[in-house]
Amino acid sequence: MIETLLIMWRESLEAALIVGILLTYLARSGERAGMRYVWAGALGAVVAAVAMGLASNGAAARLGPDAQELLQAGVLLLAVGVLSWMVVWMHRNARQMGGDLRRRADRALATGRLVGLAAIAFVAVFREGVEAVLFLWGVVVQRADASAPALLAAGVAGAGLAVATAWLFFRGFAFLNLQTFFRVTGILLLLVAAGLLTAGVNKLIGLGYLSPIKPQVWNTAWLLREDSLLGALLGALIGYRSRPSLLEVLAFLAYLPAMGWALHRADLAARGAAERAPARSAA
Amino acid sequence: MARPRLLLTALLLLAATARAEERSVPLAVAEHGFAPPEVEAAAGERLRLEVTNQTAAAIEFESFELNRERVVPPGRTVAVYVSGLSPGRYEFFDDFHQERRGALVVK
Repeated sequence: MIETLLIMWRESLEAALIVGILLTYLARSGERAGMRYVWAGALGAVVAAVAMGLASNGAAARLGPDAQELLQAGVLLLAVGVLSWMVVWMHRNARQMGGDLRRRADRALATGRLVGLAAIAFVAVFREGVEAVLFLWGVVVQRADASAPALLAAGVAGAGLAVATAWLFFRGFAFLNLQTFFRVTGILLLLVAAGLLTAGVNKLIGLGYLSPIKPQVWNTAWLLREDSLLGALLGALIGYRSRPSLLEVLAFLAYLPAMGWALHRADLAARGAAERAPARSAA
Repeated sequence: MARPRLLLTALLLLAATARAEERSVPLAVAEHGFAPPEVEAAAGERLRLEVTNQTAAAIEFESFELNRERVVPPGRTVAVYVSGLSPGRYEFFDDFHQERRGALVVK
């Protein structure tokens, strides 16, 4: 019972944290419409995950498990792209915070960005949702007796616990002032994206498409194990692994300066636009 | 500009050389656990672990030591590649039923 609860907690934690960070960000910047899209993406993913989980359980599943894993790796890399794009936009948004009311109205989220938000929430929840459904379905199959409903309830409680964990985590952010808050969430989202990139690379290595170059660059298991509370939290949030391969470490490290450059370019563009704006209003 | 591109090409080449020869190792997961419970390999060898789930419920092949994690639906087989390992004992388990444990012993 406790085991079922713990497994579901772990399986749902990453999704809860990613959705949590998006909702927290949108709530603090007053983007109610964006929050609705995040919820829609997350709830749509729950439905899709149940459908997909049940479908892939049958022997007649169209896609083989290896093809599914490859698809997952592709979706992960796609999510990294969308998330990076969102971070650049959020960065620009944060710079304009505190501008006059008209500027705020101009900032209303464009449809593309709303869809982007929904897509990130969808991917985060769907990815773990399919595994959770497969796990819970197995619980039901194995205990075709009276204990199945109780175990199922324990599983759902575990997912609820993950949501509560994410909620508690982001409640801590409420005490930050707005500027610090945007900076912290921005950095956190970058680390999340780098973690997703690493996870995608890890899948491609496991599928034999990429070489790890060196399977184990270091071993920090003595310091932090993946199955500890903090290890699970960091694993879910930024892709912490105690024994990463060299290729994964390189992917993580290469992503951050690349994004630093993209953010710098966004800054330059924003400054250029600010300089042009007064000239236009004077004309 | 030329240098980063060269570095990237070299990395990609290095990464792509992965498709060298490999040895398939069947690994079944039954109700009582992994069969065989221990698999042996030579150091540096490239292995294709063929994990077959013989039970009626989904399992998750997981190993912190190997840095691998794969869900296997009931009755299905997945391929998990590992390569370039140093001698040692690499434990794996079924994350959904943690009493099922096994190890890859690299010599």
